[in-house]
Amino acid sequence: MGEVIVITSGKGGVGKTTTTANIGTALALAGKRVVLVDADIGLRNLDVVMGLENRIVYDLVDVVEKVCRLKQALIRDKRFESLYLLPAAQTKDKNAVSPQQMQELCEQLKEEFDFVLIDCPAGIEQGFKNAIAGADKAAVVTVPEVSAVRDADRIIGLLSANDIDEPKLIINRLRIDMVKRGDMMDINDTLDILGIDLLGVVPDDERVVISTNRGEPAVTDDNSLAGQAYRNIAGRLMGENIPIMDMETDEGFLAKIKRFFNANRKRA
Amino acid sequence: MNQDAVIFKGVRDGIRIYIDSNFSKAQIMDALQRKIESGRRFFQGSQTNLTFIGKKLTPDEQQVIIDLISREINVGSITFEMTEMENSDIRPIDPFDGIEEGMTRFVRGTIRSGQLVSYEGNVVIIGDVNPGGEIVAEGNIIVMGTLRGMAHAGATGNNGAVVVAFSLLPTQLRIGSVIARPPEGEVVKASYPEIAYVKDGNLVIEPYLPSKGK
Repeated sequence: MGEVIVITSGKGGVGKTTTTANIGTALALAGKRVVLVDADIGLRNLDVVMGLENRIVYDLVDVVEKVCRLKQALIRDKRFESLYLLPAAQTKDKNAVSPQQMQELCEQLKEEFDFVLIDCPAGIEQGFKNAIAGADKAAVVTVPEVSAVRDADRIIGLLSANDIDEPKLIINRLRIDMVKRGDMMDINDTLDILGIDLLGVVPDDERVVISTNRGEPAVTDDNSLAGQAYRNIAGRLMGENIPIMDMETDEGFLAKIKRFFNANRKRA
Repeated sequence: MNQDAVIFKGVRDGIRIYIDSNFSKAQIMDALQRKIESGRRFFQGSQTNLTFIGKKLTPDEQQVIIDLISREINVGSITFEMTEMENSDIRPIDPFDGIEEGMTRFVRGTIRSGQLVSYEGNVVIIGDVNPGGEIVAEGNIIVMGTLRGMAHAGATGNNGAVVVAFSLLPTQLRIGSVIARPPEGEVVKASYPEIAYVKDGNLVIEPYLPSKGK
C-alpha cells in the first residue's frame, strides 16, 4: 500500500508543478512505482512539464465519471517505466470532481503505486479541497517571499483543519547570494514563522527553467544543483536521513578564494 | 432613554433576547410580539436559535413564550439563561469586566493566517500568532510566543485590558477603542517580553520585566 502526498502552496507560481514533476521523477529514478496526479482541472500543466502532452487520451474527469477505466487514463512516462501520469481535464472546471470522488480515486491508486503525488491547484477553493481529500501527507511549497510564506501559513492551517497534520516544507528558488546580502528571507526566517519541518531547500537554478520548457525534469540533469536538491527530497520521502544541502557549494570558485582571503584579513 | 422591555441581539449562533426585569409580564409579551412581527421577514425561512437572558421566568411564562414564538418563527432551539440581573438596567454590550479575574480561554498551537480566535473573556495563546491571524478577546490577550498578527483586547470596550507577548511584533494592535500600528520602516525585534496597554488614550508598549530591555 503506497502513500498519497499532496503538493500544495496556496500561492500560484511558486513551483508546485515543477516540484511534483521532479520529486516524482526522482522517486521513479530510485526504482519506486510512482503516479503523478494533476488535480488542476481546467489549467493542466503537469503533462507539459513532463513532456507527455501529446499522449493524453483520457483524463481524471473521465476516470471519476467512469467514461474509461483508470488504467486507460494513466500515461506511462517516456523515460521511466515505473512513472505514470494521470492528467487533468482541460475543458472542464474544478467542480467536475468532488472530494469524495478524489478520495476513492486515491484509494485505488494507492493499491498500485508506492507513491501517489498530487499536484494541487493554487487557491483554497474547490480545487484545493479536491486535491487534499485523499491525501495522507502534504508537502507545502513556498518561495522566500513574504506573500508566499503568508499563503503557505494559511494552507498549513487549512491542512490541519482537514486532519492532515505535520505537513513538510519545501523552500523553492532560494538565492544564496541574496540571502547573504540580507535581501532575501533566509531558511530560518521562514521556518520561524511556519514552524513545520523542512523537507528540502531547492536553490534557484536557471537549468530548471530550461529543462521545464523542454519537458524534461531537472532531476535527470546530473549537473543541476536543483536536480540534486530534488533527489535529496525524494530520498527523505523514502525515509533516508539526508542532511539539508550545504548551499555554500553554490558559490563559484573565485568567490571561495575571495572569502578565504577576507577571512584571513579579518584575523590579521 | 427609551427602555425596551426586550432587546434582540444577533450573535454568531443565533439570537440573544434580553428581557428587562423591570417590566411586567404583559409588557414583555407585548414587546416580544411586536419585535417578532416587525422582523417576520427576517425570521422567515431560516432556522433560528434563541437564547433568553435576563428576567427570571417561571416555567409557565417560558411555555407562553415558546408557544408565541414557535407560532411565528421556525425555531432551532430555545434556551433560557436565567440570570436575574441585580442591576435592572440592561446593557447587552457591557464591557467585559473580568480582566483581573474572569473567564479565560486557553488555545494551544499556532494561530495561522486566516484563523480567528474570539472569546468573551481573556485569551491565552500557547504558541505563536502569525501574520494574518486574529485574536479578539473581551478581556486580556496573552501570547506565550511571538505575536505577529492582529490582536484586539477589551473588544467590547474595556480600555483597561492588556496585550502581553514574549515577542510583540503585531501587524496591528487594538485595545478597547484604541487602534495602533507599528511605526513604518525597519522592525526592531525586541528580544524580551513586552506589554501593551492604554495610557491617556494612547497605546503604549513597554517591557514588563524591569531588568530587561532598558
